[in-house]
Amino acid sequence: MTPECSRVMDRLGEALPPDLAAHVANCQECQVVTGGFEFISGPSPAPTAPASASSDDEDDEDTLPGQFDARRFALETLAKQPKARPWWHGLVLLVGVHAATVGVGLMLLSRDFWVGNAAHSSIVVGVAILILALLGAGTYIALSPHRRVVPWVAVLATSGALGLTVVLTGSGQQGRAFLAGLVGCMGTELAVTVVPLAVTLVLLSRSAFHPVRALAAGLSAGAASLLVLHLHCPDGTASHLLWGHVVPWLGLGGIAVLLRSRMPTSSHAP
Amino acid sequence: MKPASAPVRTGDDSGRASVAPESDEVLMARFCEGQALAFDALFQRHSRQVRGYLTRLTGSASTAEDLVQLTFMSLVRSRGRFLAGSRFKPWLYAIATNAARDFQRRGRRPEELTPEGELPTGVADEGPGPRDVGLERAVRQALDALPEGQRIPILLHRFEGMGFAEIADTLGLTESAVKVRAHRGYTRLRELLATLRTETLE
Repeated sequence: MTPECSRVMDRLGEALPPDLAAHVANCQECQVVTGGFEFISGPSPAPTAPASASSDDEDDEDTLPGQFDARRFALETLAKQPKARPWWHGLVLLVGVHAATVGVGLMLLSRDFWVGNAAHSSIVVGVAILILALLGAGTYIALSPHRRVVPWVAVLATSGALGLTVVLTGSGQQGRAFLAGLVGCMGTELAVTVVPLAVTLVLLSRSAFHPVRALAAGLSAGAASLLVLHLHCPDGTASHLLWGHVVPWLGLGGIAVLLRSRMPTSSHAP
Repeated sequence: MKPASAPVRTGDDSGRASVAPESDEVLMARFCEGQALAFDALFQRHSRQVRGYLTRLTGSASTAEDLVQLTFMSLVRSRGRFLAGSRFKPWLYAIATNAARDFQRRGRRPEELTPEGELPTGVADEGPGPRDVGLERAVRQALDALPEGQRIPILLHRFEGMGFAEIADTLGLTESAVKVRAHRGYTRLRELLATLRTETLE
């Protein structure tokens, strides 16, 4: 599409200036587009609503169909909460839940030591910061009312890169037997994620379902437990980190999408 | 050429008259502050157009009626998600589009389907005045044959009178992406309508 074609698109249905009219005369694509536009120019004005006799209010000629119910709902909502609660209240709540989950998880798991990861302290701190950054970004993407949605590939690439970083920066230190360690860490990850994931899903149901947002939210909720495991788990072999930490975390993202898609939506706002 | 927003019907109520000349964004800000009259004005200003859009999008007037309710209830529940400085109409149509998508994703009500379990191809239109019913049916069939990504931009552009910037805002896309979709949609529509016209003549 050339810039002239784009200008023609902007002025569809209006009288074209001479330069654009000349362009249309010579551009087959624009002729087809303007033809398609004109084809549907006449018919199909906005259909009128079917007659409804659901309420007395609708006898009032000034009241539109459905207005009685909508107004009643608006009044009830305003009575409960006169001023709108800003969207970021949910964001603050969820970040708080994530932070509390990490804190409580570490307290419950750490009897003798807070950090069991035997890798160099700078690596432990660096990876922890990356996990925290993803946790915050994922929560923001999930709950932000901005309509421009982050593409799938960006969310998948970022989470994949973080997973790879976690696996490659392990201490290499062998802990328990592979299967025992795997079951223990997977169970811990699931248990720690229950509360943040539940709160996340409740908050997600208050806006329109969008799979990428749900994935980001699930990965963010799972990142809380990934952080707990990253700090606490002394097993630093790549296979353990991959199958016991990263794969369950990615799975939690998928579970979040699945659960959200089956939940009712209380509001379809973006 | 494109339809303009319907004026607010204020009636005799002086309270309503006081909010009539305000822009949608100002009304929405007042509603967020707790003024129910601002909601009335927004409903009166937009509900008919939203109903028309949803009827075209879903192919069912009764479904559209339900979805209009859902749209405005969502507006009430999520008024805190309306960002100051953003435009109201794209936000409202984004809600309506999401409601229709959710409805279609979860499956239609049995009474909305034909005995063969298919979507109805036409919508009973009770609008006044003589119209070319055959052409309307052809346009509807052609629109229904478009993929959603092309159909929604065309519905918003051609029938709701929205500019491409507003449509982009509604759908969370770039303006150029919307133009490309609409361009492809109009091209495909012309092909489909030419085919349908040929079939009708034969």
